[in-house]
Amino acid sequence: MKSDFSKPQRQSLVGVVVMFADTFQGAIRALWPILIVWIFRFKELNKLSVLAGAGVIIVLVGIIAYLKYLNFTFFLDEKNEEFVIRKGILNKSRLAIPLDKIQQVNINQSLIQRIINVYALEVDTAGSSKKEVSIRAIDHNLALLLKERLLENENEVTENSDISREGELKIRQYEKEYPFIQISFITLLKTGITSNYTRSFALLFAFFISIYQYIEDIIQATGYEEDPLEEYINAELFLRFITTIVIIILVLTLVVNLLRTIIKYFDFKITRKQNSLLLSFGLINTKSTIIRPEKVQILAVGRNFFQKKLKIQDIRIRQAYNQTSNKDHLKSAIEIPGCNDSEKDALMQFLLGKIPEKGLGLKPNIRKVLFQIVKAILIPSGIYFFLVYLSPEMIDYVMFLAVYILFVSIIIFFSFRNYKLFVNNNFIIKQSGAWDISTEILAPHKIQGVSLTQYFWHKNPDIGIVTLHTAGGNLTFGLTGYTKLKGLVNYWLYQVETTDKNWM
Amino acid sequence: MDTINNEFENNVIDTASLPKFEEAALTVLQPDYRKIMFFNVALVYTIIAIAGGSALYFIEQTRDYIIPAIIIYTVFLFLSIVLTNLSFKNRGFAFRNHDVIYKSGVISTTVTIIPYNRVQHVALHEGILSRKFGLASVEVFTAGGDSSDIKISGIEKQQAENIKQLLVGKILKQENANEE
Repeated sequence: MKSDFSKPQRQSLVGVVVMFADTFQGAIRALWPILIVWIFRFKELNKLSVLAGAGVIIVLVGIIAYLKYLNFTFFLDEKNEEFVIRKGILNKSRLAIPLDKIQQVNINQSLIQRIINVYALEVDTAGSSKKEVSIRAIDHNLALLLKERLLENENEVTENSDISREGELKIRQYEKEYPFIQISFITLLKTGITSNYTRSFALLFAFFISIYQYIEDIIQATGYEEDPLEEYINAELFLRFITTIVIIILVLTLVVNLLRTIIKYFDFKITRKQNSLLLSFGLINTKSTIIRPEKVQILAVGRNFFQKKLKIQDIRIRQAYNQTSNKDHLKSAIEIPGCNDSEKDALMQFLLGKIPEKGLGLKPNIRKVLFQIVKAILIPSGIYFFLVYLSPEMIDYVMFLAVYILFVSIIIFFSFRNYKLFVNNNFIIKQSGAWDISTEILAPHKIQGVSLTQYFWHKNPDIGIVTLHTAGGNLTFGLTGYTKLKGLVNYWLYQVETTDKNWM
Repeated sequence: MDTINNEFENNVIDTASLPKFEEAALTVLQPDYRKIMFFNVALVYTIIAIAGGSALYFIEQTRDYIIPAIIIYTVFLFLSIVLTNLSFKNRGFAFRNHDVIYKSGVISTTVTIIPYNRVQHVALHEGILSRKFGLASVEVFTAGGDSSDIKISGIEKQQAENIKQLLVGKILKQENANEE
C-alpha cells in the first residue's frame, strides 16, 4: 500500500481540532492582559458583552483554524527531490526541503492529538527551526508512510556513497521492520528508583538546612534550654523529627523520580528498520524519533552503583544537531533508560559497528585534585570564615561546613579515581563521575576539530587539557600529560584525515 | 600508560613517524594588526576615561575617589597593554596539507586544529580599520556548535583571499570525492 504523496494534500480533517487548540493557545497568549482584566473585573463589567466578546474570539479562532487547515498542503516533489509545504492565510509561504537535507523525521503525539487519534510529524533539517516544518495532524499510517518516503531517499543516497555498506543494506531491505529492544515496565521501575540521586540529595540537603534553622528558631523562641530535662526531651524529639523528615523526603524524591521516569519513558520501544533505529516512548505525550548510526556522534553509558547491582544502565545518544538550535542541544540527546547488558551490546554493535573495548588508559594528573580542592573546598570555606568574621553568629553553622567538606571530599576522591581516558584504534572512551559513572564513547572519525589548552602554569609540569569537537558536542579531558596528548592528537588527526567514512 | 603505545604499535602505522602538529612552523600575524589591537584598547579606555571624567565633573561625591580611580585605571591600562602585546605575539597559524592550525591565548594557550575534510564553510571579514591597513580575517566553520570554529585575524588581504580559495578548493574536492 503506497499512498500517493506526489499530489498536494491536506492534513486529516479532524486536524482542525488541533489547529483550533494551537490557534486558541496563541490567541490566549496574545490576549492575556485583556483576559486578566476581564477576570478580575468580571462583576463590574457587563456580563453579556464579555460573553459576546469571548464568543467572537472563539468563532474567529475557529475560522482561522479552519483557514489554516485549508491552506496547509504538503507533497513530495519527485522530480526535484523536495518535500514541499504550502501554508499561510494572508501571507502564503511555500517551503521546499531538499530530501537529502532531511536529518530526522519525528512522529509525536500530544494529549489533544492523542484524544482525536492523529499524530504530528516534524521534519528536522540542518539549519532551520523545527517549528516551521511540522505537520500538526496526520493519521498514523500516513505518517509512517511519509516518514519512510522521506528517509528512503536518504538511504539511497548513503547507499550510493557508502559502498562498503551496500551489501549489508541489500540484505536489510528484505527484513522490513522488527522489534529490537523493548524496555519493560519493571525496568522502568528499577531505573526510576535508582537514578537522579544527585538532584534528590541536593534537594534533601537544602531542605535539611532550612528545617534545622526553623527548629532552632522555635527552640530559641520557647527558651527551653534552661531546663536540662526539657532539653533532653527536646533533643530526642528533634532527632525523631529529623529522621521522619529525612525519610519523607527520601520517599518523596523516589516517588517523584519514579513517576517522572514512567511518564516520560512508558512503553519504550525500539524497532530496527533497514539502516536505522526507530524509538517511541511516552505516557501522555508519545514521542517517536529515529536514530541513524552515521548521525550518532557521542554515545554515553551512565550507571551508578545500584544500577550496576541491578545490571541496568542508561544510554544517551548525542546526534549531530543543527546550528540554529545549539542552545538546547542537550535536549536533543536521546536517552534510553534501563538497558541490560545484552541490549547495550546490541545497541552498540548496531550504532558503532562493534563493541568498544577499553584496555588501559590515561589517568589525570594529581593537580586536577588540587585544583578541585581549591575550587570546591578552600574557596567556599574561605568565604564562610570571612562571613563568620563579619557576623560571629554564623559560627553556629560550622557543622554544615563539616558535612559539606566531607561530602565534597568523597565526591572529589571518587571522581578522580573514575576519571580516565581510554584510547584504542577504533574508539576514544572517557569515563567520569563520582556516583553516576558515565562512559562516553566517540569514534575518531567523528572528530571535526581538536583543541589543546594549557595554562601558563601547566607548561613546566607538562600537562594540558584536550577537547575533541564533534557535531554533537564536545568531549574534554584534562589535566593529563601534554606530550602524550600531543601524540594522541597527531594520531587522531591522522585518522580523521585519512578516513572517507561519513561522519554526519 | 605504556599500553597506549602498545596499542599504537598494533597498527601498521608507526605513530612516531606521523606528522607532528607541534612541529609545524606557525606564521605570525601582520605587524599592522598589532596597531589595530592597540587602537581597540585605546578606544575602550578613552570611552571609560570620558565616562569617568564626566562623572567626576558632574557628581561631586565621586571626587573623593579620584586617586584610587586613577590608580586602578592606570593599572588596568598598563595590564591591557601588556596583555594585548602578549596576545599578539602568541597568535599564530599554519595551513598544512590536511588541516589548519591556530594558536592563541595569553594566560591559557589554546591550539585548535581543524581537518579540511570537516570544514563546512569559510568566511572572510574586513573591518573598517583593517581595510586601511589592507588586512582581513578568515573564519573557518565546522558543523554543530561554534566552540570549534576558528577566526584568524590580521592576515594580509591577498593572503586571506588565497587561504579562502585554498579552503574552498579543499572542501569542493572533498565533496566530489564523496560523491564518486
